Amino acid sequence: MPLDFALIAHQESWRAAADVLAVLRGPGRAPIPDVDLKDIFPWFPPRAVCHIDHRSVLGHSVHGVYIDSFIPPDRLGHKYREENIGRVRAAAACAINSGARIVSLGGFSSILLEGDSENLPEKGGTVFTTGNTLTVAFVVQGVRKMCALQGRDMSEATLLIVGATGDVGSGCARCLAPLVHRVVLNARNIDRLRGLAQELSAGGAAVDITTDLQQLSAQADIVICVASLESPSLLLGRLGPNAIICDAGYPKNLSPVDVLEGCTVFFGGLGQSRGGMSFEPDVHRVLHRHPFPNVGQGCLMEGMVLALEGRFEPFSQGRGFITTERVQEIETLAARHGIHLAPLYNAQGPLEEAASRTEGLADERQIAGSGRAV
Amino acid sequence: MELVTCLKPSLATTAPIWQDVLAQAVTGELIAVLNYTSLAEISEDPEEVADALEHAESERGHAAAFTAEGEKLGIAVPNNVDAKYWKRLRSAFLRQIDARDFIGCLIIQEVMLESFAVASYKRVGQVAPGSLGNTFAAIAAEEEDHIDHAMSILKTERARNVRRFDDKVHELHTEVMTTLAEMFAREDADGHCELCCGTCVKPSLPVVGLTISELRGASLRHYLATLDTLGLPGEMTLAWATQLPV
Repeated sequence: MPLDFALIAHQESWRAAADVLAVLRGPGRAPIPDVDLKDIFPWFPPRAVCHIDHRSVLGHSVHGVYIDSFIPPDRLGHKYREENIGRVRAAAACAINSGARIVSLGGFSSILLEGDSENLPEKGGTVFTTGNTLTVAFVVQGVRKMCALQGRDMSEATLLIVGATGDVGSGCARCLAPLVHRVVLNARNIDRLRGLAQELSAGGAAVDITTDLQQLSAQADIVICVASLESPSLLLGRLGPNAIICDAGYPKNLSPVDVLEGCTVFFGGLGQSRGGMSFEPDVHRVLHRHPFPNVGQGCLMEGMVLALEGRFEPFSQGRGFITTERVQEIETLAARHGIHLAPLYNAQGPLEEAASRTEGLADERQIAGSGRAV
Repeated sequence: MELVTCLKPSLATTAPIWQDVLAQAVTGELIAVLNYTSLAEISEDPEEVADALEHAESERGHAAAFTAEGEKLGIAVPNNVDAKYWKRLRSAFLRQIDARDFIGCLIIQEVMLESFAVASYKRVGQVAPGSLGNTFAAIAAEEEDHIDHAMSILKTERARNVRRFDDKVHELHTEVMTTLAEMFAREDADGHCELCCGTCVKPSLPVVGLTISELRGASLRHYLATLDTLGLPGEMTLAWATQLPV
């Protein structure tokens, strides 16, 4: 059966890795002990783990595979960059050999397009997309939804973007800068920060830049954290009360227990398919560890959306190409096939009911004349 | 001269470890000699007979080379083709011989046993000192070279009937790879391997820069890559590999 799409990704934790192998081992075998898992896992060559059927609400469906690059979850750091690029290249070769027409690159895998193009193996008839445009769409929708649920006026808010100069960070900045009072851009590379700030300022946005995460974070009302932080406390410990924090990184490691009471952490960049997805073998609950069905990373869903549309093109090509227009285009395509922003949640569970309760609280506070809404 | 003085104590310390490593290698090569000799007996094509006998001779040469490396270290390298894991592997092969299943024999010897031999010899070749390392590396390369013909036969066989071929590989995988996985497990669940001179060598391997988990991992990876080359679906062989005992 020809493949419409392939998704390349990796596991975010040893728990997730263990669960994938447990499904593959089958119900009759004991789980692999943790110590053996860490010995065995890094040796698996990248390959397909399961087949996926994704159905559009329009009635048709597309068929693809999920390919795991088997990057050990504790080896995502810079030290292992070259080794991991090798793994992702091998996964890409696997996708090409499988005949997939479009490939979405999840998590670290997007480095194949964000780095130099020599990272990609010979492509044949396969096209690659980072999938980041749909991730940006869902991050932006999530921020707007959470602000609406909490009764926040975005036009008065200061937005901090951590990891602002990357593909997703800069895309979010372009989409949200016109909607907020002020944008603070944080990243490691000052030259790239200056370039992005100049672009946003030219569009009329008020922009500050900083390479020091702790410097301006206390001023933020809304935070989008695109970079997966090695020390989340550096950010979370500095935020003011009532901040909204969107964890758009991978792995997601911002915990609501680390923030001040009144702050809200939610996972961003996730979509939900109303048409549904089926997996063979059934690793759905393992790959998509969400409290809602048919939820997936925006970056992975982008490939499925494009396949459903029959548009086998490199829609998201890497650093700096994500514009507001492209975001609107991909979210329109996604919506046509029943793929929308997933219900908001964090590591403690669903949030929208809780957010609504906070909204009610905000109303009460405003009525009581306590000033700015929470 | 100074170099020799430096190396001697190190080799003296590690000689018992190399002795056990070499004992496994020599025994594996002798099993291969027996397997290829048996294969020659059931082959009907004279070219295949000659090929099998040539391989048997080549494996005998490898066994001799490993034994000679032991002598250079001043150690006698034992071998035991009846040691429990090796005996199980030989028995699995003989069942294919009894069934006169030439393809089954090739799958066991060329795909499964050679994968473990090539990958583990390569790893040992990277860390073993001097000529010992060179010998392991050279034999790994030779083993890798001679499987081309077998792979060609196996690919042709798979093309005839994919389902039957893949089922056959799975059946043999369940038996042979389970034995190899147990052999390369962190601990021997059934006691002594009947080949190591003293206690199990596995916990001592880090002294010479090896671990049993990396030998196992590298071997499994090589095996999966060989199955890829034959055209078996990667998701299927991945599941097989995860189902092996640890």
